[in-house]
Amino acid sequence: MMNPIAGTKTISPVAGRPNAGRYIPYVVAAVVVLSAPVWAGAYLVSVLTIVGFHAVLALGLVLLTGLAGQVSLGQAMFFGMGAYLSALLTVRAGLPAWPCILVAAVITGVGAALIGFAVLRLRGIIVAGVTLTVNLIFYYLVMSMGQVTGGATGLTGIPRLPYPRGMPYSVFIFAFVWIGVVVLLVFSLNVARSRSGRALRVLNILAGGGEDTAQVLGINTMKYKVSAFVVAAIFASIGGSVYAHYTGVIEPGSFHVQLSVLVAIMVIVGGVATPWGAIVGATLMIGITEVLRAVAPIVLGGPTGAYELVAYGAILVATLLFLPQGLCSLPERVRRRRRADDGH
Amino acid sequence: MEASTVLQSLISGLTLGCIYAALGLGLYVVYGVTRVLNFAQGEFVMLGGMITVSLCAWGVPLFPSIFLAVFVVSVTGAILYRFIIHPARNASGSVLAFLTVGFAFAVEGLTLLVWGWEYRSLTNFLGSSSIHLWGATIFGQAPWVVGMTILMVAGLYYFFGHTMLGRALRACADEPLGARTVGISPERMGLLAFVIAAALGAVAGATITPLTMTAYNVGIPLTIKGLLAAFVGGMHRAEGVIVGGLLLGLTEALSAGLMPGGYHDAIALTILLIVFLVRPRGLLPAHANIE
Repeated sequence: MMNPIAGTKTISPVAGRPNAGRYIPYVVAAVVVLSAPVWAGAYLVSVLTIVGFHAVLALGLVLLTGLAGQVSLGQAMFFGMGAYLSALLTVRAGLPAWPCILVAAVITGVGAALIGFAVLRLRGIIVAGVTLTVNLIFYYLVMSMGQVTGGATGLTGIPRLPYPRGMPYSVFIFAFVWIGVVVLLVFSLNVARSRSGRALRVLNILAGGGEDTAQVLGINTMKYKVSAFVVAAIFASIGGSVYAHYTGVIEPGSFHVQLSVLVAIMVIVGGVATPWGAIVGATLMIGITEVLRAVAPIVLGGPTGAYELVAYGAILVATLLFLPQGLCSLPERVRRRRRADDGH
Repeated sequence: MEASTVLQSLISGLTLGCIYAALGLGLYVVYGVTRVLNFAQGEFVMLGGMITVSLCAWGVPLFPSIFLAVFVVSVTGAILYRFIIHPARNASGSVLAFLTVGFAFAVEGLTLLVWGWEYRSLTNFLGSSSIHLWGATIFGQAPWVVGMTILMVAGLYYFFGHTMLGRALRACADEPLGARTVGISPERMGLLAFVIAAALGAVAGATITPLTMTAYNVGIPLTIKGLLAAFVGGMHRAEGVIVGGLLLGLTEALSAGLMPGGYHDAIALTILLIVFLVRPRGLLPAHANIE
C-alpha cells in the first residue's frame, strides 16, 4: 500500500552548509552535458536541446508542485505565450529579438499573476482542472485569432537571435538553454532552502503540511503560491520565446494541453520533492519519446505518436503506483531498505 | 440577433448542453462514490463513438453495435478501477486524478494505433438529415441527443432512488465507513460507479458521433469541458452537473450566434470559468446535511 506521507523528511529545514567536495559530481555532470556539442553529433545535441526546453518548464512546475504541493497544468500556455508574443513582436512589429523576449516575459508574468490570484484560492486537484481549462482557452484563442496568430498553420519566418560568429546556431541555442537550466536549478535549490522555500513546503500536503497548517503558522499562503506560479510562468515564457527563435516556426498544437500534462508527468516521474527530479524526468521522457519515434513505427508499424502516448500513460501510472515519490527517491529507498536489512 | 438566430442558438445550445450534462453525470457518479476526479471520462465517450462506428462499418446493425460498444467500454471502466484506482485507493485526490490522466493518455495512444488519426462519423440514427422550424434548423440527430440525456437522468434517478443497489451506492457516497458497517463494500461500489460512468460515456459517445464526429484526440477537450461544467453547476449533486452542462452548451451556442469566427469555444469557457471562480462551491451547492 502507498504511504502518502512518505516524504515527511522534506519538511525539515536543511541544516548546515555542505562542504565544497559535495559539489564535484554536479560540476562534472554540468561539464559533461554542456560539452555535448564537442563529443556528440548534431542529432544528440538537438535532442538535448529539446530536453533542456522541457527541463525549464518542469523546473518551473517543481517550484509550485514540488514545494507547495499545488498542481498546475498550465505550463504549456505560458510557454506558448512567450513563443507567440516574442514571434509577433519580431515578425509583425519588426522589433529586435532580445528585448522582445523580455517584453514577452513581463507580459506573461503579469498575466500569470492575474490568473494566479484568481485560481490559487482554490485547493487541491481543482487547481489542476482549472489551469488545464485556462490552457485550453489559450489554445482555442490562438486557433481562432487567425489574422494575428496565423491560426492552425501558425507563424513562420521568426528571426534568429543574434549569436556569436564561428558557432553553429544550434550549438548556441543548446548552450543558452542548458545554461538557463543550470541557473534555474541553482535558483530552485536555493529557494528550497530559503525562508520562502520552507514557507512553500509547509503548504505541501505530501510533506505533511497543508494550507491550514501554513495559515496557522502565519504564512501568507497566497503570496507564496502566486509568487511560485509567476516565477514558473516567467521561466516558461523565456523558454517559449527562445524556442520560437530556435525553430523559426510555431503552431498552436505545440502549446496544447498535452504538453502541460507531459510536463507534469516529467515532474512526477522524476520526483516532485527535488528540482533534480525535473531534469531526470525531462531527460527520461524525451529520451523515450525519441527512441519510440525512431524505432517503433519501423519495427511495430502504426502511426507516429501512438506509442509515445501509451508510454506516457503507462509510465505515469506505474510511477504513481510503485514509486510515488519519483525516480529521485530511488537512492533514498534503496538506502533505507539496506539499513533495514542491516538491522536484522 | 434575429428571432430565428436566437431560436437556432437555443436549440443547438440545448443539444450541446445535453452532451456536457451527460459527461458531467459520468463524472458525478464516479466523484460521488469514490472522490476521484476522472480525467478519463472523455475517453469513454470517444471509445463509445469509435467502437460503434467500426461495428456499423462491419455491417452490425446500429443498436446492437451501441450495445456492444457500451459493454466493451464498461469493461474498460472496470479495468481502470480494478487495476489502477483500487490499488491506490488510499492515496490523495491528486494522485488518483493523475492515475486517470495516465489511463487517458494510454487509451488515446492505443486508439491512435488501432483506428489511426482520421475523424469518423456515423449516419443519423433515423436517416433524416434535418428538420426546419420557424427559420431554425434542427439536425436530425439532435432529438436523439436530448432524448438520451433525459433517459440517462431518468434512469439514474430511478436507480439511485428506487433500487437497493443504487441506495447502496448513495450510502457509500455519503458515508463510506457507515456503509461498510452495514455490509456494503465501498470497493465493489467503486467498481460499479466506474462501470456506470463508462457505460454512460459510451452511450453518449455513440449518440453524439453523428453530430460532432469522433477521433482519438477528442477525449481530453471533452473531459475538460465536462469537468468545468460540473464544477460550475456543483459536483455534489446530479442537478448541479446537469445545470452546469446546459449552461456551458447554451453559452457556447449563444456566443457562436453573436460572434461568428470560431471564438465561441474560448468565450464560453472563459465565461464559465469566471462563474466558477466567483462561485467556487457551484451554482447548486451540496445539500446542507451532506456537508
